[in-house]
Amino acid sequence: MSKEFSYLNLNKSASYSYVGKNLKRVDMLDKVTGRGKYIDDLKFSNMLYAKLIRSTEAHARIINIDTSEAEKLPGVKAIITAKDVPSIKYGLSPARYDENIFCTDTVKYYGDKIGAIAAIDEETVYKALKLIKVEYEVLPAVFTPAEAAKEGAPQIFEEYPGNVNTEIHLEFGDVEKGRQEAYHIRTDRLSGQRTLHGFIEPHCTIAYWKGKRVHVQSTHQSVHYLQHHIARIFDMKEGDVRVTLPYVGGGFGGKVDISGTDVAAVALSKITGQPVKVFFDLEEVWLNGRGRHGMDMKYTTGVTKEGKIVFVEAEVILDGGAYSGLGVATSYYTGSLLNVLYDFDNYKFDAYRYVTNLPPCGAQRGHGQPHPRYAFESHLDHIAEDLGMDPIDIRIVNARKANTVTPNGYEVKSYYLKEANELARDVSGWKEKKGKLPKGRGIGVGNGGFVTGAGFCMYRTDLPHSIGMIKIYDDGTHAIVYTQAVDIGQGSDTVLVQMAAEAMGFPYEDITICTRDSDLATLDYGAYASRQTLMAGWAVKRAGEDIKKKILIQAAEMLKVKEDGGYRSGKLMPEELDCKEGYVFVKQEPAVNISFAEVARAYFVKHGVLVGRGYYHPGKLGGSHKGAAVGTSPAYSSATQIAEVEVDMETGETKVVGTWDVHDSGCVVNPQLLHGQVHGAFSMGIGETIWEKVVFDEKGKLLNGNFAEYRMPTALDMPHVESLVLDTFEPNGPWGVKEVGEGATTPTLGCVANAVYDAIGVRVTDLPLTPESIWRGIKEAEKAKEKEGK
Amino acid sequence: MYLPDFEYFSPDSVEEACQLLSKYGSKAKAIAGGTDVLVKMKSDLLAPEVLIGLGQLSPLKKIEYVPGKGVVIGSGVTHNEVRDSKVIQEKYMSVSQAAHHMANNQVRNRGTIGGNISNAVPSADMPPILISLGATATIVGTKGERTLPLEDVFAGPNVTVLEQDEIITEFVIPDGNFTGSTYMKFGLRASGALAVVGVAAAVQVEDGVIKDARIVLGAVSPTPVRAKKAESFLKDKQASEELFAEAGVIASGECKPISDIRASAEYRKDMVRVFTKRALDAAVNKGHV
Ligand SMILES: Cc1cc2nc3c(=O)[nH]c(=O)nc-3n(C[C@H](O)[C@H](O)[C@H](O)COP(=O)(O)OP(=O)(O)OC[C@H]3O[C@@H](n4cnc5c(N)ncnc54)[C@H](O)[C@@H]3O)c2cc1C
Repeated sequence: MSKEFSYLNLNKSASYSYVGKNLKRVDMLDKVTGRGKYIDDLKFSNMLYAKLIRSTEAHARIINIDTSEAEKLPGVKAIITAKDVPSIKYGLSPARYDENIFCTDTVKYYGDKIGAIAAIDEETVYKALKLIKVEYEVLPAVFTPAEAAKEGAPQIFEEYPGNVNTEIHLEFGDVEKGRQEAYHIRTDRLSGQRTLHGFIEPHCTIAYWKGKRVHVQSTHQSVHYLQHHIARIFDMKEGDVRVTLPYVGGGFGGKVDISGTDVAAVALSKITGQPVKVFFDLEEVWLNGRGRHGMDMKYTTGVTKEGKIVFVEAEVILDGGAYSGLGVATSYYTGSLLNVLYDFDNYKFDAYRYVTNLPPCGAQRGHGQPHPRYAFESHLDHIAEDLGMDPIDIRIVNARKANTVTPNGYEVKSYYLKEANELARDVSGWKEKKGKLPKGRGIGVGNGGFVTGAGFCMYRTDLPHSIGMIKIYDDGTHAIVYTQAVDIGQGSDTVLVQMAAEAMGFPYEDITICTRDSDLATLDYGAYASRQTLMAGWAVKRAGEDIKKKILIQAAEMLKVKEDGGYRSGKLMPEELDCKEGYVFVKQEPAVNISFAEVARAYFVKHGVLVGRGYYHPGKLGGSHKGAAVGTSPAYSSATQIAEVEVDMETGETKVVGTWDVHDSGCVVNPQLLHGQVHGAFSMGIGETIWEKVVFDEKGKLLNGNFAEYRMPTALDMPHVESLVLDTFEPNGPWGVKEVGEGATTPTLGCVANAVYDAIGVRVTDLPLTPESIWRGIKEAEKAKEKEGK
Repeated sequence: MYLPDFEYFSPDSVEEACQLLSKYGSKAKAIAGGTDVLVKMKSDLLAPEVLIGLGQLSPLKKIEYVPGKGVVIGSGVTHNEVRDSKVIQEKYMSVSQAAHHMANNQVRNRGTIGGNISNAVPSADMPPILISLGATATIVGTKGERTLPLEDVFAGPNVTVLEQDEIITEFVIPDGNFTGSTYMKFGLRASGALAVVGVAAAVQVEDGVIKDARIVLGAVSPTPVRAKKAESFLKDKQASEELFAEAGVIASGECKPISDIRASAEYRKDMVRVFTKRALDAAVNKGHV
């Protein structure tokens, strides 16, 4: 259950017609009736079915690929390998394009892409796959950063000597000075595991060619990046690549990279001249990877007597898996946002991302942050304990304030972390519980937050970040909002329609949104970095305001105030009018009004189509140091979460019994959708804290590519969630909005882990905190105590 | 994932089913709910050329109490049917609960008790509680019928003593003197997780004294095993928390668990200790739960 709760009341959403309201999702009926189309529902005549041929070795040179038996199978239409496709390398970080459509020489992990088979139906594809024979020369492999870093370790890529894919060394302020000033210094080491997003719709792409143009339909989080990369990889003009996305069944960062389904579908449909559908089985989603990196984190922090942080030294080692993908950005994100949350000047941050012979890691909700947040929030609790401070007090002492600039150059406008801590403390009963619960029961706090959209495009460009367009029907009764914003389930279509309605003063229920289509809709970078509400929101708001401006000008010519006794006589000026909920009225005399539709129709008769245009670019953000771009954003959310847990001291089993989230999310466009994000974030974060881990055998073969052995929490495992909003206002956001989608996952791991620590009195440092690892932690602590006793 | 090609038969009688199994020999596999067979076939772990469906066999679908015999559960009864059966709930709520806590609702709706037993997976949830209550299995083949104590049906991981032409038709929980029983499943999440350890206990208590006790351990040995030393340790002793704890320690010495991706052997051993203690406590103090 979630409570509507306004604490700070900094925005004026009470006077809005649509923004701030729990309106029904625009895709609700499509989704609950099953009539909405996901990619697997799409069929085209003559469509071929295709799958990838995958490596069965973790690291090996391909000696020969024998496709002859498979080719003989009736129904097989094409079998392609590296020799049949462009050899250009791709990825998401231009500095590290290192992935080929199909492996050219060596396979780099068990499951790597070797080729693809297209056939007349699914059954034939599966049969053909079994007939492919690949001959390998097996090479030694590395599966952990420690193995990858060893002297003489096998080299996975020529371009990454020592298997180091990304190396970061940054220092801000003067750490040595901080060290001198510190009253107390402490070091903690913790580690986080590889996890996966857990969306239920596996990747799938259908492509077909019409002349020189290709139409790509995919499961993706971004129309634009898919279009951009397909054009780049296949040496085409962007205008010749049409990308459309049907409804997308979840993404969480796992559908930002170009998937093997995308490149294989485009290549196969070109070769066969038929529409081709390339699809993953669930296990292949694990093999495709791009989830959270495994990380080892070390923090050394100095504080004053009062708990004020005077310096932090952070070192993060990432297990990157086989390719870069988004991993360079991930590496920067592990360190860059720490001093958005906490206000301190002296900060040293080192990171190393190693390539290993495992599926590549990338972005997963909270991109690069949840593990470091987990580690630092745990570390902070220990520092508070050393000082005899309440964990919430030390967070309040260090919480960043609004209108400040971080040492690494981010401008933070609205920021209410202190208030979030206070409210979370009060609603959770923290004061009555902390330190007073019986053994086996504990309460913990964690802070987090995120960027509201990345400050820069993923590749170098001068394009705007979002363009909105609204078209009004000829008769003025309906509006179409165009944007390439991608609703992957989070509800961006709904909030963008709410925002368009508010901006135009036009009824919400009379708007249709046209999205996820590069031919029809207008540029937006898509759903990542929690950007849609703010960035696509600005573009749509401005398009709506453009419409409204034109409507008011037109209406001023049509509306007449009474000559006698009216508020004034004579010709009206547009500034004297306003438009709300489908009616244009005289502000001083609302009884004098006219319907939007009538005005719009008159506009159409006179000028032709009524179109509104909106543009958004965040401007130049951030400092000039290496990597300064990662972490820049027009706005930063903050959040405090508290969890209460019960740990079975004999089995080590943790039950999360209560959770509280207080969000500084700016103006909340649709509170119900925000609460949905918070519930989902808790489920994801609790799962990652207690259960989830991607596991491989000693040869790098995936062991748990399914939802039975990769255990995410079920509804029965979920506690009560109390989600509260601070109702703040962000000057850089349309109507004052900020993000919630990813930020909400970032405090969860820390708060649950701290609650477990509070319950059992032992810090288990490696995620996930499985029953067995807690059991072991308790046993070891008992043994240590016995030793001490002796 | 795709099912390989196979031929399918839907026999009308147990006799016909056995004849088909005999005819096709090792090429054939019986299929009840299919929640195990089909998953394995899709994952290339099993490739029978012939599937023989037991789903149409109504004699396998009964649940009844036969005075003088006991509670009879047909092998084709689904887990949710076991859970919801009034007959079972009245006599042995513990059996109903064991079915309730397994798998997830979808699997419970299709998976059968016969499949659960015949699969002979060490972590299966139904064997421990049924063995603790002294259940027998009725096995029918082309050469006739035989009855075995359920604990003697298992020969190893995924192996039973059934001949190629045999199927299990029913299980009987004989009338007995047990005053309480329970099955405790320890899985790694609330639903849809296999047992890391499963412990069943059935006890006969008179005036606070344990007259008889059976402890069956699941997921910690190649087959479900009885903790016989712990059982005899308990006999004729006054029930107490200390006694249960001691029995737990003894039981944990009687299992031979393995380490796998779910848990280490060491941890499983200690969980046998914990759950034996807890199961005894529940069976003694709460009846059939
Ligand atoms: C997601 C999931 C979760 C699961 N969770 C659990 C769990 O928590 N606990 C648990 O114990 N199991 C679990 N299982 C395993 C299994 O599906 C169940 O044990 C189920 O009871 C099997 O029954 P079935 O009727 O579907 O068997 P089938 O798949 O039809 O058959 C299984 C085996 O038994 C044989 N067989 C079936 N009936 C007979 C018969 N009458 N005589 C002789 N042989 C027969 C078949 O030939 C086959 O070898 C789970 C399975 C899945 C897919």
